[in-house]
Amino acid sequence: MSGLRSLLNRRSFLRVFSLSAIAWLWPKKSAGTINFQNNKNIPANYVQNRDVPGFYIRSANPFLGVSAQEWGLAVGGMVKTPAAFGYEDLFGFPMVSQVSRLKCVECWSAKAKWEGFRFQELVDRVQPDPKAKYVTFKSADSYYESYALEELLRPRVLMVLRMNDQPLSKDHGFPLRLIAPFKYGYKNVKYITQITFTDTRSRNYWADYGPYSIDGTIQPGIDHPLDYEKKPLPINGGEVFHFFDPRPASPKTRQ
Amino acid sequence: MRWQRFLLLLLLSFWISTCSDNNVEQISVQVPAHIKVPEGMVYIPEGEFIYGHAEDPKTALGQKVFLNAYLIDRYELSRGEYKKFRADVPIAPGKKKLPVTLVAFEEAREYCRSEGKRLPTEQEWEKAARGPAGGKWPWGSYQPHPNNGFSGFLPEPVDKRQEWISPYGVYGMGHNVWEWTSDDWDYNGMPGSEKEKYKVIRGGLYQSHLKIDFSPTWARNFMEPSARYNFIGFRCAKDVK
Repeated sequence: MSGLRSLLNRRSFLRVFSLSAIAWLWPKKSAGTINFQNNKNIPANYVQNRDVPGFYIRSANPFLGVSAQEWGLAVGGMVKTPAAFGYEDLFGFPMVSQVSRLKCVECWSAKAKWEGFRFQELVDRVQPDPKAKYVTFKSADSYYESYALEELLRPRVLMVLRMNDQPLSKDHGFPLRLIAPFKYGYKNVKYITQITFTDTRSRNYWADYGPYSIDGTIQPGIDHPLDYEKKPLPINGGEVFHFFDPRPASPKTRQ
Repeated sequence: MRWQRFLLLLLLSFWISTCSDNNVEQISVQVPAHIKVPEGMVYIPEGEFIYGHAEDPKTALGQKVFLNAYLIDRYELSRGEYKKFRADVPIAPGKKKLPVTLVAFEEAREYCRSEGKRLPTEQEWEKAARGPAGGKWPWGSYQPHPNNGFSGFLPEPVDKRQEWISPYGVYGMGHNVWEWTSDDWDYNGMPGSEKEKYKVIRGGLYQSHLKIDFSPTWARNFMEPSARYNFIGFRCAKDVK
């Protein structure tokens, strides 16, 4: 009994208790603190490249993200009626949603439900000159991208405000991003601040700073979907659908 | 000494060229006297060829198939040629010889019709690419990758790679654009829900950064007929009468 009493004396109890409390309170290496940063030299609160399981984050220029109060969208260039929009204004457009993959040029892809409005809504509002065959996007992080107008009017292209039933997170492009599922991820510009209609095609960020094409159409080849443990699967080119992905209805070849 | 070194280099280059197995033996085809082969087309004689490959379950597995004689375009259709049909399609200066792209299946078919031709069937396309002996590469041997590291598609003039010629003398069968064929996409075990939704495309992308595995003559791909992409073009074929 005397041995047990010495084990349970006040001093040893306090020692065990304090050590347990310290261990419990000590910051753990949780997802919240690691944040899956690919570059630990960038402040953790910056939008940046992160290999978040399920959906990697890619952002060319690290920055703090966009404040809805300070954000605005300017749409102009060769148009009849230039327009400016606040965040709430965009919810006045008819909303549509779709499930589609974002296919990165780095070979992975990830799937999400995207919700937003068609580019046609902006076209109807600003009425571009018939000679304006191209569109340039600018982002809050100095990124820029270009498209042929015809491509932006294709059925699966969406100006996105919500992702997986939530407002876009700052990592995924809050407040407004483009989803063009037949283009590589770098064409799916985020944090859009300016849209300009032009009669000549401008270059894009990754054609100027990397070995990526201006066009950015997804080529036939191999994909490593994050929701399939990155196992290699063949893709036929254009929008990526794997055997486990439901496809939108399409007309039959014989009618 | 200098001329000896030059001679040595010259002889060495001759020797290297004789070692190359990139030459594709051309099949000597006798065109029947009553058949006039239009300019820019190649006569493919009737006979069997090896269709598909046993290692690729989505092909015809290497069975022998007999085809009647037919004609097929020697080159993929160029933008310059397509411009004659569709004046509204813009062509950048100096790009006339590049293969036409961004054409949907129906547009390709319409063009061929306007020329008194049609799109080739998948079997016709494959026979023209590999010849009757069932070659893996249209041009006879594997070639090193010419464009590693670029994300996009870089088309080349349709007649640029004269060394990449099929045994029947057809070009562009393993590189440049994928090509529309007239056939629906189909394979053994294909779910009924997928039937009649897609068209077969064949050929291409040898010069892209993506997998060279797509270039064997039996490699198949598919696409929604409404698709217009920068990597899809076409060539035409014609019946022999």
